[in-house]
Amino acid sequence: MELHSAGEDAIMLYLGEETSPEVSARVQAAAEAIKPALGADLVDLVPSYASLLIIYDAMHTDHLSVAHRVRTAVAALQTRSGTEGRTVVLPVYYAAEVGEDLESLAQRAGLSTAEVIALHTGTEYRVYAIGFAPGFAYLGQVDERIAAPRLTTPRQKVPRGAVAIADRQTAVYPAVSPGGWNLIGRCPVRMFDPDTEPTMPVTVGDRVRFEPISRERFVALGGDLA
Amino acid sequence: MTLKIISHGLSTSIQDLGRPGYFHLGIPMGGAMDRFSLRVANMLVGNPEDVACLEVVFLGPKIEFTKSVIVAVTGAELPILVDGEPRDTWSSFEVKAGQVLSFEFLQAGARAYIAISGGIDTPTALGSRSTYPIGALGGVDGRNVQTGDELPVGDSSNSKAGLSVDEKLRRLPDTPARLRVLPGLYWHRLTEASGNNFFSDEWSVAPEADRMGYRFKGGRPLEFVDREQPFGAGADPSNIVDGCYCYGSIQVPGGKEPIVLHRDAVSGGGYFTLGAVISADMDFIGQLQPHAPVKFEKIDMAGANSARAERKQMLEIIRKELRQEPKTQP
Repeated sequence: MELHSAGEDAIMLYLGEETSPEVSARVQAAAEAIKPALGADLVDLVPSYASLLIIYDAMHTDHLSVAHRVRTAVAALQTRSGTEGRTVVLPVYYAAEVGEDLESLAQRAGLSTAEVIALHTGTEYRVYAIGFAPGFAYLGQVDERIAAPRLTTPRQKVPRGAVAIADRQTAVYPAVSPGGWNLIGRCPVRMFDPDTEPTMPVTVGDRVRFEPISRERFVALGGDLA
Repeated sequence: MTLKIISHGLSTSIQDLGRPGYFHLGIPMGGAMDRFSLRVANMLVGNPEDVACLEVVFLGPKIEFTKSVIVAVTGAELPILVDGEPRDTWSSFEVKAGQVLSFEFLQAGARAYIAISGGIDTPTALGSRSTYPIGALGGVDGRNVQTGDELPVGDSSNSKAGLSVDEKLRRLPDTPARLRVLPGLYWHRLTEASGNNFFSDEWSVAPEADRMGYRFKGGRPLEFVDREQPFGAGADPSNIVDGCYCYGSIQVPGGKEPIVLHRDAVSGGGYFTLGAVISADMDFIGQLQPHAPVKFEKIDMAGANSARAERKQMLEIIRKELRQEPKTQP
């Protein structure tokens, strides 16, 4: 455990250096312990792969008090395995018409598109972080055989629901945005909706599986082919 | 509807004090770039300080009112006209139904705040009316204000014309602007000489300066201490394992030009950050024009806390003065 001041109202807690399910589980467990320890002094708690950003209300407390409470809460933690959290299944329509990079990714990997789909759906992913854009969940780790580098020229416009791979990470684009990840399919589930509670179907620490669906099912579930 | 946008200027958006607490969903706090000026604008028209105003960048809009209201404009020095007649900035004045509010050319600063008695009453998203176009949150259907928009304004019974803020209490950056920095997370990754250069060099605002971040140019590139890159961090020494950026963080992609992340910045990524600009000075960044000269100045946590207290104190003085000001009978 390492604590560093990140600004006048933020402390960064490091729980490891590498990206792994164990480190991610530690981040998650620490987040759960810190919430009650800081109570109303906590403004936001932002987990990432190996770190946790703690934003506090500097009008009512200071970094020394926050650091002390965080240290105490995290020191009392039991080591946990990386298996807590819910499992969320997300349906995906995998096809070239909605996954423009599916064929080129398969070609580069020396696999058929069916094999790429099987490898993508055959892995259970962990939500490591949420960021980049509202509701953008970073999922890992993608099977090494279908890991693919980011596009050299990012697309100006990636559609909402696009399912994509970058290196050993995968994600569902929550809204139309620019993006450099490889598109392989599309998910009809909305990944972010400010008018619903919760606003996202997944949270950090959850596990995610993708389930292949047909074009008809995709449309029936409200998916947009455009 | 009490407010009609005849022309929207360059970039005009609805902002309040933002929506803190949603970084974990990838949503930045947003809100006014210059929070001090927004608060004071609201005080002048008798609104609660967190009410939504218009944030105007460089070029003023032209607005027709369909109901009589009290208006105040703070922040950047953007000369005000009501039906062609000049009005003072940092002061409250009446705009009658049918009158048009417009502006002349910008004289200083970058962002002006137009507060209207009753406040702009568009729907809230996650507790705020602040516009965040990337997430389509707040504003007018998730976007900036456009020519032709009609905006609802709330009711007010608490406003009066003729209030004004003492010139000594108006806050705009000096030249060069002094931005105090709390060295942070990855400071130890810089060589000592490079760290010193960062504070001794003169920087200026690059053209890439918006609500997401302000880029600065002109100083010497950073030099890093050699290290073994951890897995997931990539080969570039300015990259780290993806982590969160706190508000005000100074990110240095490629180790060359620092970017201070501002209100609408993304919550995280894989670039090195060397520290954070203190909150008291973040408001100043929102008032910097491209090419404005800037000096970064090192501060410690105690200094950052007293700067914060000082700004709070200044707001308290303005609050008191405006409360006492009505000398005539109502």
